[in-house]
Amino acid sequence: MSAADRIMKGLFGVYFAAFFVYLFAPLAIMAAATFNTSRFPTVTPWQGTTLEWFNALAADRGMWDALWTSIMVAFFVVLVVLPIGTAAALVLTSLHARARSFLYAVMVSPLLTPGVVIGISTLVLWRQLGVGGGVFLIVLAQSSFIICYIMLMVAARLQRFDRTQEEAALGLGASKFMVFRRVILPFLKPALFAAGFLAVLQSIENYNTTLFVRGFDTPLTVYIATKVRTGLTPAVNALALIMVAVTIVGAVTYEAVRRRSRTARASKEEEQPG
Amino acid sequence: MAFGQTRAVTDVSFTVEGGEFFSILGPSGCGKTTILRIVAGFLEPTEGTVLIGGRDMKGLGPDQRPTAMIFQSLALFPLMPVWENIAFGLEARGVAKTERRKKANDLLKLVALEGFGDRMPGELSGGQRQRVAIARALAVEPQVLLLDEPLSALDLKLRQHMRAELRALQKRTGVTFIYITHDQSEALAMSDRVAVMSEGVLQQVGAPRELYDNPATPFVARFVGETNAITGRVAAIENGIATVESAFGPLSGRAGDGLSAGAAARLYVRPEALQHKTRGENRLMATIERIDFEGAFALAHGTLEDGSRLTASIASTELGEAPEIGTRASFAFQSANAVVLPDG
Repeated sequence: MSAADRIMKGLFGVYFAAFFVYLFAPLAIMAAATFNTSRFPTVTPWQGTTLEWFNALAADRGMWDALWTSIMVAFFVVLVVLPIGTAAALVLTSLHARARSFLYAVMVSPLLTPGVVIGISTLVLWRQLGVGGGVFLIVLAQSSFIICYIMLMVAARLQRFDRTQEEAALGLGASKFMVFRRVILPFLKPALFAAGFLAVLQSIENYNTTLFVRGFDTPLTVYIATKVRTGLTPAVNALALIMVAVTIVGAVTYEAVRRRSRTARASKEEEQPG
Repeated sequence: MAFGQTRAVTDVSFTVEGGEFFSILGPSGCGKTTILRIVAGFLEPTEGTVLIGGRDMKGLGPDQRPTAMIFQSLALFPLMPVWENIAFGLEARGVAKTERRKKANDLLKLVALEGFGDRMPGELSGGQRQRVAIARALAVEPQVLLLDEPLSALDLKLRQHMRAELRALQKRTGVTFIYITHDQSEALAMSDRVAVMSEGVLQQVGAPRELYDNPATPFVARFVGETNAITGRVAAIENGIATVESAFGPLSGRAGDGLSAGAAARLYVRPEALQHKTRGENRLMATIERIDFEGAFALAHGTLEDGSRLTASIASTELGEAPEIGTRASFAFQSANAVVLPDG
């Protein structure tokens, strides 16, 4: 190996390390701060190791209410966006090229619109109709752009759908609805799960759109932002740590189950040589 | 009984008898799949009608016709176990689950796949998937089964095996099969009758033997089986025998339709109709270039005096008397074994 190669390899290693430090250092610091007795979320100075902030979190009624509001919003957002996003994807993939690109542009435009604008315009519209801010409007405002993600994910999956399966089903006497229920929907299932998961994440983490339409309801992101002003304690870190842990456990479990079912299928195939 | 009549692509019209194994043969892009899709109801013809059992199918979708289609890709539902695939058509008709399961098991037995009901399609071999697709189509008890080159994805051995199996299944069930293929040996081997198509035009409909012995058009003569073509001009037509004045002297064969004296024509003679002998009428002299041994017979490839090619088949038992490679040899044929068609 030449010197130049070695330098390149070294630089690459440094870059790689820097990349992951950049990615995970904030999370690590945040997690560590949870166990510091300091009243502020920090690791310097380390005043002592404690679990008291988990207790503080458990005692913070406002935080739990906010979390509950966020979960409720996310639940209704999923209920709204999954059917509408799927329907949009179905329409999109069945159109001819020109109509498709037009509709595509229209449907994706909320993604390009600043979240603040979506929030304000939703509020302005519904005010006219006598509806004020609150969970209802948060759901509507968030859904208007989360639908785009759902549509994109479902459309990507639909593009790989073998259309002759639809024809075969129709030819066997199935109604359009039965084709959808028995053939297309099972095919879309993985995409729908992934899209639903993404919708929940997008909904819970959203701040800028939510802020304008929340009315007197306080979801988690808004609650935490308010706390920053009034005095943030490591209880927030405890909450974040729990969320990160739940996400990681969820992802690892999902992957493990997926791998196990795949090996099970592979070994079943071996029993019956083609 | 007139079973079906189709007018499609360009002026295509034919009748398929009930219980018949009918093939539509043609090179890819000749419009045969279009015809099948029109019969199935996936396409509406701009002009003309499809009758099945004397009933006009106009305005009826694929779900309302007494047809079932087997696609080239088979289009099995990959996320349903085999038995649900087979019973899908029954499910669409509202048949109860226990009844569906029973019918699926009966059909699995029919296609020799007993006990495979709970497998997933992805766990089956190509030939097994093929049979599931057939069982699924038969489950809805169609009057007509439409097959779009279902064997083309299989390897040669399996394809030949499935040919026999399809043919036997068709005889056993008595369902009318309309089978699409570009493989002429497949069409000849399986069918009661064959329709030959080229560029959206129906060339000829007939029993396999008829197509082979009496091709109606130059396309059929060339596409179905091997043949030698010799160009010339019609000198005379007498008692159904046409004499063609060619570069190699007068040659005669059975006269096809549309011949007139003095018009340009081609004489078609099959390799197996050519005999290596030095006497008699209808003689052609060729320089032998190579002899390909094929097992039961050998094919002698030669060049005629004007440079065009000639292929003659020689039975293996007579290889001892075959001409030497590089020599000029004489081949003769009987007029009854050749066909003369207008040039075009």
